[in-house]
Amino acid sequence: MSKIKLAHYWGAGCGGCDVALLDIDEKILGVAEIADIVFWPIAVDGKVKDVEAMPDKSITCTLFNGAVRNSENEHMAKLLRQKSAIVVSFGSCACYGGIPGLGNLTNRKEILELVYTKLPTSDNVERVFPQAETHTKDGDLELPVLYDTVMTLDQVIDVDYYMPGCPPTTNLINEFLGIVTAHVKEGAPLPPKGAMIASQKTLCDECKRKKAVKKIDRIYMPHEIAIDPDKCMLEQGIICLGSSTRAGCGAKCLEGNQPCRGCMGPTAEVLDQGGSMLSALASVYRVEDNEALLSEDNIATLMAQVKDPMGTFYCYTLPKSIIKRKVKEKKQVKKEV
Amino acid sequence: MSGPILSDEKTTSTSKRITIDPITRLEGHGKIEIFLDDSGNVANAYWQVPELRGFEAFCIGRSVEDLNKITSRLCGVCPGAHHLCSTKALDGVFNATPPPTAIKLRELFYAAHYVHSHIAHFYALAAADFVLGPCAPAATRNILGVVGAVGVPVGAEVIKHRSYAQKVQEVIGGKATHPVCGLPGGMARVITEDERKKFEAMSKSCVEFAKFTQDIFANVVLKNKDYLDIILNKDIYYQETYNLGTVDKNDKINFYDGTQKMIDPDGNEVARYKDKEYTKYIAEHVLPWSYEKFCYFKPVGWKGLVAGKDSGIYRATPLSRLNVSKGFTTPLAQAEY
Repeated sequence: MSKIKLAHYWGAGCGGCDVALLDIDEKILGVAEIADIVFWPIAVDGKVKDVEAMPDKSITCTLFNGAVRNSENEHMAKLLRQKSAIVVSFGSCACYGGIPGLGNLTNRKEILELVYTKLPTSDNVERVFPQAETHTKDGDLELPVLYDTVMTLDQVIDVDYYMPGCPPTTNLINEFLGIVTAHVKEGAPLPPKGAMIASQKTLCDECKRKKAVKKIDRIYMPHEIAIDPDKCMLEQGIICLGSSTRAGCGAKCLEGNQPCRGCMGPTAEVLDQGGSMLSALASVYRVEDNEALLSEDNIATLMAQVKDPMGTFYCYTLPKSIIKRKVKEKKQVKKEV
Repeated sequence: MSGPILSDEKTTSTSKRITIDPITRLEGHGKIEIFLDDSGNVANAYWQVPELRGFEAFCIGRSVEDLNKITSRLCGVCPGAHHLCSTKALDGVFNATPPPTAIKLRELFYAAHYVHSHIAHFYALAAADFVLGPCAPAATRNILGVVGAVGVPVGAEVIKHRSYAQKVQEVIGGKATHPVCGLPGGMARVITEDERKKFEAMSKSCVEFAKFTQDIFANVVLKNKDYLDIILNKDIYYQETYNLGTVDKNDKINFYDGTQKMIDPDGNEVARYKDKEYTKYIAEHVLPWSYEKFCYFKPVGWKGLVAGKDSGIYRATPLSRLNVSKGFTTPLAQAEY
């Protein structure tokens, strides 16, 4: 049996997805038995020019983690798509934008102004900014262009499979590697295109905490109360995105006695995780059944307890949500270099 | 096991520019442009960081309690460092001193984080250079090549002990990569006596594994004269800069808390400050060919990318930690100091 070829690349990510692949422990040796890892910058010495030299579709499977934040991320996504038979959108950033997707609450200009000129440690009276091209005495240097809007992987290339999680858990990675191994060794069929390598259930189905269908009167931040480790987080007044989040992570944050923040993305049934969670909160908050009795002001007062609605309901999924980004003011729409 | 390959076949190139894109076996995006002079020697080299996600901008507006979960995504290889650093900032924001148990849990978590991070660095990222050698074929310079050279039983020990460290972090932090345990003034979860006993057994095993690793380093590198001729060559691997590290009140290395100590290239102390005073001592310069900013020691100032006492360039690395301190507080580490 000839070995298949695997690649693992990062766009706007953190390397946590790459560490997650190491976290499968001894099974990584099993991967080496069936596959050559032809490109994986965090762990293997291949270069972009090596990928460019590969025949089209010669990489059996590319795991692409990270969002698309700049022109290099987009170029590499397109290059790896061209060279790969299968592309997996790996981790929350590639699938939904992830934490870097919160960049859609601001824009390119605001980010550059703040990062390079306005921090307490900034030393930049000359207002120097990173440039796409810099002419030096030695030669010309290039940098990717930072985009105004963070995109998910499937907003720039065709994606075959999705594996959410920040990072994806060992169980999900092993499940996928099992599928690939069975396909390579025994010719077992691959999942249908577009399949989500995760549970079809809701995180609440996976969470061991007891639910009493209790209503709440106010919202607490996790440090404000002694959290009962056996009771439903939301029913204790802590916003937990479990009811609006796909299962498959093993409810690890809940095991750590903290609420779910939604890194697995929306459930199979819904499109917009934040909208789904707002609806769930309205229900547990006595708003949904009492609309006739509650004035707009009452509802606004209740909801004002959520200090940061965007960061709470769309922490990992903003670029893939219906909202996608903070609305641009007209003067900021013009193209900048 | 054969020794590292320290030289390779000479090749001739007419190009006056060498591009290394991407740099590999470390976390984060980077490329190096090397310019050659007419005689083929290096005239100049540029290390460029082609990425920016804009955390500084999108953290504004978020709930402060969420920032330690958001900032851990700066790096998925060292999320524990960012999570705890941000958690300590939260202690300050809420003016809440954690109880001794919480501090011990944080220190235990962070010690486990160090064990994971240093095993990952030493064996998965750096060992290819030491064990296989810088001139070994590129396709072998990775963790699988290292396992091939040292043998599967040793590889299994590496995997087992990194796994222990990840397990300790996961129990305390919910997840090893991107933990959720830190709260202002405390921790989210206690550990049980059963868990403590398991941690103790795993920790003891990790100490033995650290001794084994020291032996590997001594045998492969320190006892290899050809290797020492390269790494101790002052024309290649040597820069005199300022050094920064965290020390306790006795000037010993502390990983969790202490004061920041800066020494000049001659080893003289030039500053000692608490974390929150950092803006008095550190500033960031901007160059147009990198998204990464260039930190420097403010009292000396930015004098360009040059080494020496008159330039504010400093290191804040494992090496500088050793340079600024007067040793370790634990006997086995002190014996190696």
